[in-house]
Amino acid sequence: MSESRDADPAAAPETAPPAPPSAVGPKRGAKRRRPVEWVLIGLVLFYALLLLLGPLASLVWGAFGEGVSRLLAELTTPDAVHALKLTLILSVAATVLNTLLGVTAAWLFVRDDFRGRRFLNAIVDTPFAVSPVIAGFMLILLFGRNGWLAPLADALGIKVVFALPGMLLATMFVSIPFVIREVMPVLEQMGTEQENAAQTLGASGWRTFWRVTLPGIRWGVLYGVSLTFARALGEFGALLVVSGSISGLTETSTLFIFRTLDERNTVAAYGMALVLALLSFSLLMVMEVVKKRTRRTS
Amino acid sequence: MSIVLRNLVKTYGEHTVVDNVSLEIADGELFVLLGASGSGKSTILRMIAGLVPVDSGQVLLHGRDVTDLSPQERNTGFVFQNYSLFQHMTVAENVEFGLQVRKRPQAERVVKRDELLALVGLAGFAGRYPSQLSGGQQQRVAVARALAFEPSVLLLDEPFGALDVKIRGALRRALRDIQRSLRVTTILVTHDQEEAFELADRIGVVDHGRLLEVGPPAELYRRPQHEFVATFVGEANLLGVRSDGGRVRVGELTLPLPVRLAEQDPGIRWAALFRPEELAVAREREELSEPVLGEGVVEEVLDLGAARRLRLRLQPIPGVWPLGRDFGEAGVALLAALPWKPGSDLEFRNGDRVWVGVRGYHLLPRLARTFLILVDGTSGSSEALEQGFRLARAMAASVTLLCVAPTQSAGERIVAELREALARQKPAPAFKLRVGDVVEELAGETAREAYDLVVAPGRSEDVKARLSERIQSEVVAGITSERLVGSSPFPVLVAHGPRPELKRILLCTAAGEPGKLDVFFGGQVARTTGAAATLLFVDGPAFGAVSAEGGDGRAPDAWKRRFWIERHLEQGLQTLAAQGVQAQVSVRQGDALEQILAAAQEGEHDLIVIGGHLVQTWADLPERDLSIELVARADRPVLVVKGSFSR
Repeated sequence: MSESRDADPAAAPETAPPAPPSAVGPKRGAKRRRPVEWVLIGLVLFYALLLLLGPLASLVWGAFGEGVSRLLAELTTPDAVHALKLTLILSVAATVLNTLLGVTAAWLFVRDDFRGRRFLNAIVDTPFAVSPVIAGFMLILLFGRNGWLAPLADALGIKVVFALPGMLLATMFVSIPFVIREVMPVLEQMGTEQENAAQTLGASGWRTFWRVTLPGIRWGVLYGVSLTFARALGEFGALLVVSGSISGLTETSTLFIFRTLDERNTVAAYGMALVLALLSFSLLMVMEVVKKRTRRTS
Repeated sequence: MSIVLRNLVKTYGEHTVVDNVSLEIADGELFVLLGASGSGKSTILRMIAGLVPVDSGQVLLHGRDVTDLSPQERNTGFVFQNYSLFQHMTVAENVEFGLQVRKRPQAERVVKRDELLALVGLAGFAGRYPSQLSGGQQQRVAVARALAFEPSVLLLDEPFGALDVKIRGALRRALRDIQRSLRVTTILVTHDQEEAFELADRIGVVDHGRLLEVGPPAELYRRPQHEFVATFVGEANLLGVRSDGGRVRVGELTLPLPVRLAEQDPGIRWAALFRPEELAVAREREELSEPVLGEGVVEEVLDLGAARRLRLRLQPIPGVWPLGRDFGEAGVALLAALPWKPGSDLEFRNGDRVWVGVRGYHLLPRLARTFLILVDGTSGSSEALEQGFRLARAMAASVTLLCVAPTQSAGERIVAELREALARQKPAPAFKLRVGDVVEELAGETAREAYDLVVAPGRSEDVKARLSERIQSEVVAGITSERLVGSSPFPVLVAHGPRPELKRILLCTAAGEPGKLDVFFGGQVARTTGAAATLLFVDGPAFGAVSAEGGDGRAPDAWKRRFWIERHLEQGLQTLAAQGVQAQVSVRQGDALEQILAAAQEGEHDLIVIGGHLVQTWADLPERDLSIELVARADRPVLVVKGSFSR
């Protein structure tokens, strides 16, 4: 696969050199590329292949290295199935919650002018700046033994750390900014005129949001959702700290990979990694298709 | 009345966007709000629709007070400049939206939608998306959408602003036809006067948040009441002139004031308006059948196809000063329109000498003001500056500072200091320096130039403290201020004492005072500063002597007296109401001077406005002049309003 791609940059310069001499005519001037451009294109291709396709290829290689039946056997062990299930539950829950909160927050940041708006807007990005491991550690400080919020959790009878709630919080924390940051510019660009129009036509605020605002920002939301989901699927550091990594209980797919690698069970690790990669990839693909299809109709 | 606006106000921070706008629009009328961008016209429209909350005032739609209702409850159809169609809905869904919200049955929606799409000329476009339509088509859809649910009024915010000229014309005609056939009361906001003239039943001109003037297009063009309206609507040659005994002289021309204006001619300045097509141009004086304005030179010939325009420059005319943007420094610049007649060979070239005649004219009171602030180096000058500039800002007046000093060097020092101190003051003042006696120099200055207000220093607290009781009124106010007030031909504001703000104004119409001009001027001050006005009438001995209309010096009967007071106050209130000022009324008994002082004290008024006698010299003053006595006694600013107005 990588070899066939390698042929592209090699083939391209071969077809191109005839162009410069013949490109005296102004007609072909737009298509002519200078050597610098070729170098840049080559550089980008090399970079993409090395960083994106290379690991993927090695992943496939590792997963199928000992045969398909071995791979299937490793992926259907109870631990693996549980880990995958847990990851999906966490990712879906985190995505749903972060989408609801994210759209609300974006709407407030753009449309409302409340006290502390600028401050809040500024700290939205902190999950990007803080290492996930530290985020997990902060959750332990908050909810662990003698943590500030531990009494609250105890009173509610919820076990946060080393349990599902803490893992959900960690997953949500690391993926908060995506929906907000994707929706805000779209909302801003959309402006208020369509919403105003809906209001003068008699639509209530709720109806205006569902019929006018949301359809107007749907691509931003969808993009934010897929990024959130992909990020949630792959979260590792914060979960490692906060979950305790108890297999069959609080072990997610990424933690499963970490453990199986440690146990030198490369087929299980690579197999699970491949499953996660395929999930993310198909999500992106589905989004592209939906986007294209609806764009054609409107 | 379909739409009634009462005293609408909207401010954003310090900035007043909509300033006390009142308006009534009849059923089925197409009303156009015309103004430059940023004038506040769109905000007015959005306040009617409920998209912008109202600070104060009222909005009534078909008699229903909707001021505090949400946009959804107002039932207004709104068309935005950038169409704002719902991009993800088809044309049909867009048009049906308002009906769907109102839960009308499907069948009715479809009928209504098809009917409206046919009306705007888009039958068969129902299935398209907005992105598949041209700008003009999108705006037609927006109009259909705004009309589909049968709104009580239709509001259009620069609906054709984003379209090119050809499409704009077609859409304009379409809109006019639709509006006529549906008889829906409509307000259209635009900055395009051609659009306004083509569409409007009536036009309202908006400037700086104020609704300056309302009238049919032809009326606004021929007889504007504001200089701004005259220049904003069509092209205008505006000349500043002064009236003299009910007429105005412009060079050789004598223009009588219209009867309506001649009656109330306060001897103030006027602007004479000549539209380009009202000027006749000929090479020889004899060729002109019209009254002659003067001789001048052709500076530029503009060929516009249908008509030719000439830029002319006349010799300076004494007593006439050009107004408006197009006017240069020397001479009087004019723009004349020459109708194109087939076969005429009347060609003019740059540099040709021509005679200019006048076919028609219009006179309007000149409202742009100039204030003269008198600075004499006493500590009262700072109060005069403070109060003068405050009023100048409120009344949009320009300011000239007249510095009078005993010696040239002292004067130059004062001017230099003032220049530094007032470097950032607005409006930026002009400086004049005179050496000599304050009153004489002021008399000289006011004889040469016309001012709308002279601001003079009064007694200030620190001076008062340093002077003994006896000489204080004599030296500071008794001599200078009184003589100033007595001899100035223009209104005088004596800036007694520091006054940090101007909140309450006392308008004195005590009997025997010479006119309505004081109420008029006081009303202007109240309106522009937003201060509360109280109309004071003092019923006392002085009144009895004057108001006996038989002239036999006998006091009139009690009921007659009562009637006279009521009528007098009602007239005053009418004059104020016409300026948009709501005033309180106060009637007091006793000596006029004492009662005015007491009323000002009790009401904590920041300014007393009173009429004064206009006399030629100090010696001509009547034996007892209330305004001068008031200036001598008052402990707060007094505005003495003068004019040649007589009953």
